[in-house]
Amino acid sequence: MTARVLRLGRHAFEPDRLLVMAIVNRTPDSFYQPGVTWDPAAAMERVHVVVAEGADIVDIGGVPARPGDEVEVSEEIRRTVPFIAAVRDAYPDLVISADTWRHEVAREACGAGADLINDTWGGWDARLAEVAAEFGAGLVCSHAGGLPPRTRPFRVAYADVVDDVRRGTLALADRAVQAGVEAARILIDPAHDFGKNTWHSLEITRRLAELTATGWPVLVSLSNKDFVGEALDAPLDERVAGTLAATAVSAWLGARVFRVHQVRETRHVLSMVSAIRGDTPPALAVRGLA
Amino acid sequence: MAAAALCPSPPLLCPQLTGRRPVLPELRAACAEVVGRLLGDDPELVVIVGPAAATGTWDPGSRLDLSAFAPAIPGAGTGAAPLALGLGAMLLDQAGYGGPRRLQAIGQDEPASACAKLGAELAGSGARTALLVMGDGSARRTSKAPGYLDPRAAGFDAAVERAIRAGDLAALLELDQALARDLMATGRPAWQVLAGAMPAPAPATEVLYCDDPFGVAYLVAHLRPR
Repeated sequence: MTARVLRLGRHAFEPDRLLVMAIVNRTPDSFYQPGVTWDPAAAMERVHVVVAEGADIVDIGGVPARPGDEVEVSEEIRRTVPFIAAVRDAYPDLVISADTWRHEVAREACGAGADLINDTWGGWDARLAEVAAEFGAGLVCSHAGGLPPRTRPFRVAYADVVDDVRRGTLALADRAVQAGVEAARILIDPAHDFGKNTWHSLEITRRLAELTATGWPVLVSLSNKDFVGEALDAPLDERVAGTLAATAVSAWLGARVFRVHQVRETRHVLSMVSAIRGDTPPALAVRGLA
Repeated sequence: MAAAALCPSPPLLCPQLTGRRPVLPELRAACAEVVGRLLGDDPELVVIVGPAAATGTWDPGSRLDLSAFAPAIPGAGTGAAPLALGLGAMLLDQAGYGGPRRLQAIGQDEPASACAKLGAELAGSGARTALLVMGDGSARRTSKAPGYLDPRAAGFDAAVERAIRAGDLAALLELDQALARDLMATGRPAWQVLAGAMPAPAPATEVLYCDDPFGVAYLVAHLRPR
């Protein structure tokens, strides 16, 4: 299937546009730089910075992926929804994504101006798609191997992990279309490290073309994850280069949206991949041409 | 029954799955040693007992399908053994054992009575039968554990360790099935098979390894009937 236009908010992105989704965590305890944007002012400052650095989307979440203290629906809403409203006020055109698996939160988030629901937990809450349809929002359909939200993989085994990801995400995408979500607003995400060990995450990276070939726009979330850490034996604060290498490979294999902590570095990598592919001309080419 | 050995069954026992650096060499050495002792008795038959989705026996030639955990490794094809049995088979292979073996799965949801009954049958199969029992304690021992922290895990695993150290295997039959499931302690049915295979008097036991380096309780022990 050929790649299609991706619609997010008021925007229509052609298949050769590579998009950066900047992570803005409204949590005190996410795995990477925990609590750095827990303070609302710090979070808004982070939005200003990532927009200036070239982010196309901001992804706002209120619950860490890893297990930890229970975050009730009301608390998740309290953490994210007023902030989404504030970002919407400040940036009328910016694509805002709500990182949640709960339809109650998604409903409030869309009401406050979110354009996209980023469900990392594989459609655990089937009503998310209804909310996306109701608000004309987009939906990320991911693969978490059937794990409940906020759980870690334990001895997970797959006959063929890429096939499982492909079937799972396509089924969710079909379900979303059935629920009334506009097809042009649906993305699929293999969800590296969710329900996967490092070998599995490396395999889906290596074979990402099998997912991009489906025609659905593919989002990858690689940023500073454990599969990078284990591949390199690198602690959390030394995974940027590995993340960017995985980013380049994924872009080359057709991924279109990149959920990241490091916006500026990612933008450079994606621009370079676009230049190598011939999708965009160099910013400047005079060397040897004078 | 000749003797029994108890080993855990994490995929990381398999060196091909853990990358370039050695992982838990002490655990691997303890497993190798206890299997060596088991085989030192020159058993006629080694029965590998491990938890799986359902009770049943597997072809003695079947092995773990490493590709299920690491897709870059070539697959074992169809009929691959469940994790615990496959790792037991690997330990026997690593020890150079080429004699008769039986791969006995015990269903994850079997009650203690069924586990004990199976154990008694296995023990009755011959005076020189050896058991290699593959099973793990709770995977919820710390906040970094696969299943996160469950405060009940420490007590559960301590009871298992106490029972093994004392040779009081009847205590293993008292383990709460629902609690074991909550705690992701996959070894429960296999331990109860062991208890059925070694009724009174209490066997002589030696624990070679007991730790939880990744938040999962691993126990390596040797048990010999008195």
